[in-house]
Amino acid sequence: MSVAEAEARTIQLEAPSGLWHEAWRRLRRNPGAIVGFVLVATFLIVALFAPLIATHDPREQNLALLGGSCCPGPSADHFFGVDALGRDLFSRVVYGARFSLLIGVVSVIVGLTFGIMIGATAGFFGGWIDSVLMRFMDIMLAIPGLLLAIGIVAVLGPGIFQIMIAVGVTQIPVFARLLRGSILGVRESDYVLAARSVGVPGRAILGAHILPNAMSPVIVQGTLALATAIIDVAALGFLGLGPQDPSTPEWGTMLTDTTRYLQTAPFLALIPGAAIVISVLGFNLIGDGLREALDPRFRGRG
Amino acid sequence: MLRFVVRRLLLLIPILLGLSVLVFVWIRALPGGPAEALLGERATPESIRQIEDQYGLNKPVYVQYWSYVSTVARGDLGTSVTTRRPVAEEIEQRFPATVELTIAAMIFAVSLGVPLGFIAAKKYGGPADHASLVVTLLGISMPIFFLAILLKYVFAVRLGLLPTVGRIDPLIDISHPTNFYTIDALLNGNLNAFWDVTKHLILPAIALGSIPLAIIARITRASVLDVQNEDYVRTARAKGLSPRVVDQRHIFRNALLPIVTIVGLQAGLLLSGAVLTETVFAFPGMGTWLVTAIKGRDFPVLQGGILFVSLIFVLINLLVDVAYAFINPRIRVS
Repeated sequence: MSVAEAEARTIQLEAPSGLWHEAWRRLRRNPGAIVGFVLVATFLIVALFAPLIATHDPREQNLALLGGSCCPGPSADHFFGVDALGRDLFSRVVYGARFSLLIGVVSVIVGLTFGIMIGATAGFFGGWIDSVLMRFMDIMLAIPGLLLAIGIVAVLGPGIFQIMIAVGVTQIPVFARLLRGSILGVRESDYVLAARSVGVPGRAILGAHILPNAMSPVIVQGTLALATAIIDVAALGFLGLGPQDPSTPEWGTMLTDTTRYLQTAPFLALIPGAAIVISVLGFNLIGDGLREALDPRFRGRG
Repeated sequence: MLRFVVRRLLLLIPILLGLSVLVFVWIRALPGGPAEALLGERATPESIRQIEDQYGLNKPVYVQYWSYVSTVARGDLGTSVTTRRPVAEEIEQRFPATVELTIAAMIFAVSLGVPLGFIAAKKYGGPADHASLVVTLLGISMPIFFLAILLKYVFAVRLGLLPTVGRIDPLIDISHPTNFYTIDALLNGNLNAFWDVTKHLILPAIALGSIPLAIIARITRASVLDVQNEDYVRTARAKGLSPRVVDQRHIFRNALLPIVTIVGLQAGLLLSGAVLTETVFAFPGMGTWLVTAIKGRDFPVLQGGILFVSLIFVLINLLVDVAYAFINPRIRVS
């Protein structure tokens, strides 16, 4: 093995683990990211163990609780009070975490998968393939996100599965553009040239140098996209395009009719809203932390 | 500069073509097919046949596409299924409302976001910086419709300070030559009406402007931090210019470039946000109209509305690019 080859082997072996190892080290020192992890962990635990945490059946209506007025506030039996149909708000918010998580994750996976496929194809092949794909992405970006999602829901009909697809599709162009731009930038960078000049084989350059470095903005964007997805899903639910079964405890849907009760029962709007803000905040904090941890300009400073 | 604008305009052609194809395909993908979608619940076999004749839906696809494009190009966006009013006429009334709201939101976002970001950068690492980080983070994590509900609760229900529904007190009677109610009130010489319209704008504008505010503050901070360490800033300081002059002439002016871009980009996002804000405040703009259209399955309105909004969005992006090239000579050359 020549010296150059040995060098190449080391670069190849160490570069990716070094990047992520250091990123993790930096992330742990970022107080914002820690708060983000705590918030997201809480959100995940609530979502996963919803049946154990909830005190009531989230769909069960108990009109007797209302006693002619809307709505009884927090009490020992109903931590967050009951909604206009006599359903336990605490249990609905707890189960709502499941829907938000499920819809958020699935829609980001949809956006990420197709976005990466399109972005990587465009970035690797270039030429007319690149032009065609990117012009198509431009057209999709020409329609404001929420309107695109609304248009897709209009075709597919309202429902949970439909919202996942709609929100996922709106995220495709963002991921595609990001990965393509990132691949183009990395491909021409000095360290790729350096790796090439010490004799690292083409495939290793791609795997060890181009992709890991090109992927980091995509991963950051993926975390932030989860935040956006949760908001967009809630927005569609709020507009009445969410789950067709109105008893489904989806956070956005839960907010829909609450403006009517702002005078008497403001908690009906405040609590599900706060749940959305907390989970979104968690993903945003982690996303920001990741961005700083992975950004080479910040590296070596902390 | 002219070459840049022309090239940018040429790039617009494939996007507009693609957009029209997308909407054309979309209306054909709707449940029940285009004729039924255009007629709504009143569809009968005869009326469907009539619509099919009128729009040439029984002709080959390329003929259909051509007739669709030429109808739209003539400014005919169809007729609402529910109100039976021409879509274009409705846009004429509702679009100014949304523009007015968007401009108010932008004024709010820029007038607070730029100073906030600037102060945060000047006091980097201090309490003001931390405060701005928290504000911006909350700004982007807060769903617009939830913030709108919160504002409504605090300022209208609790404090009773501001109106929460519509654009103007229904008892105030003024003529609407422009449909921009602030301008209309001034044209009528009715200051009372002007004040009322402004009050109706405040809460929706704050709700809609919150995300741009956060983003503008962030970009301003980052941009000022970048510029602050440039050689020419050090030179300016070294030759003894007062900190104030350095701030104004060297730092702020150069930090402005990314801020201008981001402000332009936000304008497009605001069109999405307006849908939600208008819904909460029952503000009669494009947003509430489109939401009603989805619920009533009023597809001509959705088709015309989405096409129109996307067109505006594309044009704004074009303007931003041109404005950017105008400010930054480097873009023009490359």
